Amino acid sequence: MIPRPPFALSVDRHTPVLVQGITGRAGQRHACMMRDAGTSIVAGVSARADARPVDGIPVFVDCASAVAATGAVASVLLVGAAQVLPAVSEALAAGIRLLVTPTEGVPVHDAVEIRNRVDAAGATWIGASTPGMAIPGEAKLGFLPDVSLAPGPIAMASKSGTLSYEAGFRLVQAGLGQSAWIGVGGDPVKGTRFADLAPWLARHGRTEAILLVGEIGGNEEEDFAQAIATSGLDKPVVAIIAGRTAPGGVSMGHAGALTWGSFGTWEAKRAALADAGVNVCATIDEAVQALARSLGR
Amino acid sequence: MFLFEHDAKSLLQAFGVAVPLGCWVGADGALEGVMPAGPLIVKAQVAAGGRGKAGGIRPAADAVAALEVARVLTAAPLAGHAVAGCRVEQAIAGATEVYLSLTLDASRAQVQVLASDHGGVDIESAAPDALVREWAPINAAAIAAAVGRAAQRLSPASREAVADAGERLAAAFVGLDAQMVEINPLFVLPAGEPARWLAADAKLITDDNALYRQPVLCRLVERAATRYPEAARKWRHGCDYVVVDPTGEIALLTTGAGLSMMLIDELRAQGLHPYNFLDVRTGGLRGDPQRLVDVLGWMRDGTQVRVLLVNIFAGITHLGEFARLLVQAMDTVPAFSVPVVARLAGPGFDEAVEVLGARGFKVETDLARAIDAVRHELASPDVRVPGVLQ
Repeated sequence: MIPRPPFALSVDRHTPVLVQGITGRAGQRHACMMRDAGTSIVAGVSARADARPVDGIPVFVDCASAVAATGAVASVLLVGAAQVLPAVSEALAAGIRLLVTPTEGVPVHDAVEIRNRVDAAGATWIGASTPGMAIPGEAKLGFLPDVSLAPGPIAMASKSGTLSYEAGFRLVQAGLGQSAWIGVGGDPVKGTRFADLAPWLARHGRTEAILLVGEIGGNEEEDFAQAIATSGLDKPVVAIIAGRTAPGGVSMGHAGALTWGSFGTWEAKRAALADAGVNVCATIDEAVQALARSLGR
Repeated sequence: MFLFEHDAKSLLQAFGVAVPLGCWVGADGALEGVMPAGPLIVKAQVAAGGRGKAGGIRPAADAVAALEVARVLTAAPLAGHAVAGCRVEQAIAGATEVYLSLTLDASRAQVQVLASDHGGVDIESAAPDALVREWAPINAAAIAAAVGRAAQRLSPASREAVADAGERLAAAFVGLDAQMVEINPLFVLPAGEPARWLAADAKLITDDNALYRQPVLCRLVERAATRYPEAARKWRHGCDYVVVDPTGEIALLTTGAGLSMMLIDELRAQGLHPYNFLDVRTGGLRGDPQRLVDVLGWMRDGTQVRVLLVNIFAGITHLGEFARLLVQAMDTVPAFSVPVVARLAGPGFDEAVEVLGARGFKVETDLARAIDAVRHELASPDVRVPGVLQ
């Protein structure tokens, strides 16, 4: 097994970011939206030989030339599911240190291969099947809606995009914003798991409390519960877990959201998190109120 | 996708995994394959474990008896799960039962090999020291080697069988883009039998995301769409739809897996009855209402459905565009005439309110207010016959 490098994330408005697949429908639109949110989008990469700049962003034929010309260190990969593995490999070879892959539907055996390559390169991978990550007020790498983002004291970590939009929206409405928002994504094998974030969250100065947005399937919530103690994370953690009443044996939209027997169930996650001192809430509103209380507001 | 035992065995056989002779008997009594000679066992096909304890595995002396047992088993749900059909299988006597599984360990991004001299039981309740564990990267040779290492730590009588089975299961795991293959029990046969081992039961979970490169699984999903309705819908229509309560009153047009699941949980906690889970993936509609037309068509099967709740928190979707597609879809499925409550948030909201308001749909920005509106619709006397097309 390749040893996992610790999760590292230093992203701000000066971090040079490139967009792979920038000439696609999603690539064009979101490159501009990320830039509007403050992100330094310095380059795009497109396989099209005749690619022209996208709204002033220079487009290169491959990652190596984009990195050589712009010094990009992070990449948002807006490519099809079957292209994620080759696109990640290209980015790693060009020296990219942070990869965000929003694409849904990456085969899980591909994800295993991607993770091993990312780990071997000592890089950081967020995704797949994620709306991305953001440091509100600094930069956004992905799709996170602006109405749900505001600078603040709460770190959000989420498997589900839309559920985190809703939770983020209500945090902002309640006058609480985010110190960081990391969509780990809904796939079973992924670049960054909840537990990988625990040591980073423990040290992250601007984070005063944590909202974990989990869902049934897999064992990430259980692993995170264990990591709370081993990482010395002593900030308040509040969790919501979707799928309490979902039927077993069926993938609930996310490839990772599949329970069988007692594995991956809501109750198993609730119990593990509660044992670790996490406040597991039944509704989004309860979670927002619990976070406000934990910060003395 | 959680494969039924019968289909799992057919798929594994192609990789040289030996299984007892058997056939499928559908809920309608239709036979797939050849009925073996008795004595037989009849095994209910459900997408859940623990069916033996629930009475889902029964002996039958011959084919006539087996068909009768299958009729009884398919007539009622087993431990809450609908029985899609039965596998009728040759009964095997005199075998030793061991355990072998390959599971994708998502945390290590490796394959976990689990083996035990004690098969046939619920492995989660087995004593930890009765289990042998190994890990391997995802390639067939490495997985087979890991099973070989595990086998060396089992009793001498089962080593050879487990190592041999492991080689075939490893090829199947990689070849089928599997997330789990479990043989419990693996029958180790006495010396003198033509085969050294048989997979008496088989659990196989494959990756829906890899269907595009799995032609055999694709054909199965196409052919047995009623057995795998969720996978078939995802394959054909690009969205996830699960009927969570056939008697539910609230049809849900929602996007995003987590938010859709959470909405169902919260509705139920309030004593309401959602009909379905849906991740329609509004971001993938690309200007075509067809997926919405399909979804609204499926919802007509919900005979108790009395209101449609739309909940879209848009990240990449433009709500104005979505609203126009929804109206087009409702026009295409005019028979779906229940009242509509829409909760929308995100870019294009004002445009969506204009488009949907013109059709008399209630639009809310706040989810709690939308749920109140749903409650109001359910409480109001309804002149329409629930879910029925006018």
